[in-house]
Amino acid sequence: MASVPGPTSRRERRRQRKEKRAAGQGVWYPRWYWPSFAAPASVYLLIFFVLPLYIIVSLAFGTVDPVFQSPVPVYQPWFWTSQYLTKVASEAVGYNSGVYLRTFFFVIVASLACVVLGYVVAYYVARFGGKRKGLFLALLIAPFFVSYLMRMLAWIDLLLPGGYVNKILGWIPFIPHHVNWLGGYPGTVILGLIYGYIPYMILPFFGFLDRIDQNLLEAGRDLGASPARTFLRVTLPLSRPAILAGLVIATLPMFGDYYTNDLLSNSPRTEMIGNLMDHAFNNTGQGPLAAVLVLLLMIILLIPMFYYLRSTANELQVSE
Amino acid sequence: MLRTAGAAAALPSLAAIMDACSNPRDAGSNSATDPAGSGGLWQKGWPYPLARQDKPVTWNIFPDNKPIASNLPSEKNATLQLYNWDQYVWPKVVNEFADKFKCKVQITTFNNMDEALAKMRTGQLPFDIFFPTIDVLGKLISTKLLQPLNQDYIPNLAANCWDVYQNPFYDQRWQYTVPYTVYTTGIGYNRTVISDDEIRAMSNPYDIFWDPKYKGQVGIYDDYREAISMALLRKGITDLNTTDTAAITQAGQDLIDLLQVNNVRTSINGAYLGLPKGQYQLHQAWSGDMAAAWFYTAQNMAGYKTMGYWYPKDRVGAINNDCIAIPTNGKNPVLAHQFINFMLDYTNAMNNFAWVGYQVPQKQADPTTLTTTKSTYGEPYVWPWLKDAVVLESDFTAGYLELELTPPVDALWHDAWSKFQSG
Repeated sequence: MASVPGPTSRRERRRQRKEKRAAGQGVWYPRWYWPSFAAPASVYLLIFFVLPLYIIVSLAFGTVDPVFQSPVPVYQPWFWTSQYLTKVASEAVGYNSGVYLRTFFFVIVASLACVVLGYVVAYYVARFGGKRKGLFLALLIAPFFVSYLMRMLAWIDLLLPGGYVNKILGWIPFIPHHVNWLGGYPGTVILGLIYGYIPYMILPFFGFLDRIDQNLLEAGRDLGASPARTFLRVTLPLSRPAILAGLVIATLPMFGDYYTNDLLSNSPRTEMIGNLMDHAFNNTGQGPLAAVLVLLLMIILLIPMFYYLRSTANELQVSE
Repeated sequence: MLRTAGAAAALPSLAAIMDACSNPRDAGSNSATDPAGSGGLWQKGWPYPLARQDKPVTWNIFPDNKPIASNLPSEKNATLQLYNWDQYVWPKVVNEFADKFKCKVQITTFNNMDEALAKMRTGQLPFDIFFPTIDVLGKLISTKLLQPLNQDYIPNLAANCWDVYQNPFYDQRWQYTVPYTVYTTGIGYNRTVISDDEIRAMSNPYDIFWDPKYKGQVGIYDDYREAISMALLRKGITDLNTTDTAAITQAGQDLIDLLQVNNVRTSINGAYLGLPKGQYQLHQAWSGDMAAAWFYTAQNMAGYKTMGYWYPKDRVGAINNDCIAIPTNGKNPVLAHQFINFMLDYTNAMNNFAWVGYQVPQKQADPTTLTTTKSTYGEPYVWPWLKDAVVLESDFTAGYLELELTPPVDALWHDAWSKFQSG
C-alpha cells in the first residue's frame, strides 16, 4: 500500500492505522511480544549452554590447585594463561598427532559405511515397504530402546574368541574363524562405530526419502531415463539434505566417542580424541587439558556444522 | 573393587564463583599453616612430608582438629554415611552394624580418588567414613579433611591387626587411619594357555608380557602407576616412586615396545572379567581381583580354575593397602569410630573379605590356611591354585608400595604414560 508522503493530521494517521489493521495486519502487539516467546529457550541456553561453556573456557585457561592438582577455573580473562593450550597444541603436532589422524580416519570410514548401508535400508523401507512400512519403522526405532552402552556390551560377548561371531564363521569353509576380534584392532572399533550410530542415520534418511514425490520419479522414467539414471538425477539430489542431516546427527558425536573404543578395543593403537579427553579428565592435574580438548573438538565440529547450516539455509531460500 | 574410570564433574559452587575476585593463581589454596607432620621425605615447596617405607611420617594433631572425647554415647537416630569405592564393602556386614548399633547406613560411591577428594573438599557432604588410599593421606590430613582417631573406641586394631599396622610408616601410631584391605599386584593368566610351572620357571616372569606368542592377548591395568611400576620391576628397579627421569622414560619406552610387540591393551576390569571371558590370556592383576573373579565367573568352577596368579617367589613386588578414616565434617563421629572397630572385628572383617575378595590384615587369619579354611560361603577365602594371591605380613617389608609423588615428578610419570597411550 503506497502511502502519500507529507504531513497528515492525527485523525488521518489513526484512520490509516485502522485501515492497516482491517487490511489483515492483525491485532497490534508491542514490539517485545513475539521475541519474548524465545525467552524460555534463551534462558535455558544461557544457563545450560553459555554458562557451562564459559566455565569450561575458564578451566582451559585456568590453573590447578597447587596441592590437590584439581582444576581451578579462572573467570577473569585478564588472568588467563595459555600454558595448557600450548601443551595440547604441541602434543597434537607431536606424539598425539596419530590420535587425531586416526580419529578422522575412523570417523570418515564409519560415516561413509553408515551412509551407504543406512541409505539402502531407508530406501528399501521408503520405496518398497508397502503395507509393512509401519513394522519396518518400528524395527528401525527399536535400537533406540536399548542404550548404546548395552548394545556395545552385547558385542563384547559376540566377538569373544569363543563367541557367536567366530562360531558362525566356523561354519563357512576356507575363511579364518579364530579371529581375535577384541585384540585391539581398528576394524573392530570402526565396526562398533558403524553399528552404534547407524540407527541415527537411517531415521532421517527414511524421513526424507519417504516424502519424495513419486510423480517426480515417474516423470523421470516417462522422459526416458533409465531406473539408474532416475535414481542418480532425481532421488539422490533430492536426498542430499537427508544425507547432510544424517551426517550431522551421527558423525559429529562419533568424533567425541570413547566408549566404543574402551569396550571393543582398549588398545592405545585405536585411541581416539574422545579417549584423550577421558584420560585427561581422569588424570590428576590434567583437568585443564581436558577442558582445552573439549574446546578443540568443539572448534573442529563447528566447521562441518556451519557448512550444514549454510547449505540448508541456501536450500530454504531456493525452495522459497 | 571396580575402579572404573568414570565421569566426575567437579562443578564449582556458586560461592566459589562469587569468590573469584582475585587471581586464583596467586593464592596457595589449602596450604597448611601448621607443619602437617614430622619425619618422612620433605620436598622443596611441598607443604607436608611424603611418607616412604624407609622414612615414616608422624602426622600432627592440630589444635583446631582434635580427636573426639572418650566414652561418648553413640549418636541417636543417626544415618552413618559411608563414602567408598563401588562394590568395596559387603552390604550384609554393613547391615549387621546398623542392626547392632540401631542406626541407618548409607553408602555413596566414587569412581576414583580425584573425584572423591573433589567432593570431600566442597565441605558440604557430611561423610562419616571414608576409604582413602595411602597416597592421598598427606593431602587429606594437612588440609584437616580427616579427624584424628580416638583409639579408645578402636581396641580391635591392637587386638586383631597385623603388627605392621600397629605403627605403619605412612601414619605412625595410626593417628588418622586404620588399614582396610591389603593386596599385591602380579600377573593373572589363563592356566590352559600358560601353566603354573611354566611362568614360575621363568627367570623373569614379567618378560612374559613381551613374549610375541601372546600377541593380542595381553592386558595391563589402565593405571599409570601400576603399568609403569611393572615395567620398572621388570628391569629390577624397585623404587616405585622413582624421580629418575631416565628410568621413567625407559619404562615408558618399554611399554611402547610392548604395544609394538603384542598390541597390549589397557583395562581396569581385564583381570576379573576379561581373563575368565577369554578376552585376555594374560593380564596384570591385583590379588584381590583374582579372588573376586570367583563371583564374576558365575561361580563356575571349571571356568574359574583356568585363572592363575603369579607374584614373585621372593615376594619382592608391588604391594599396597587401603585405609579407613573419619572425615572432619561427618555428623556421627562416635558411630564412625564404632564402625571402624566393627570392621576390624575378626568375624566381620573375614566375612567382608569373603565378599569383596580383598584380604584383610587380620592376625588370626593364618595365610597358610586361607586356601583351606571355609568362609561364610562355605568356600575357601582364596582357592588353592591361587595361593600366590594370599598376602603375607612379611610382604610389607619385602615388597614396594606406590606412594605419593609431588606434581613435578608425577608429571614425569604422566608424560611417559601419555606417550604410551597415544599409541
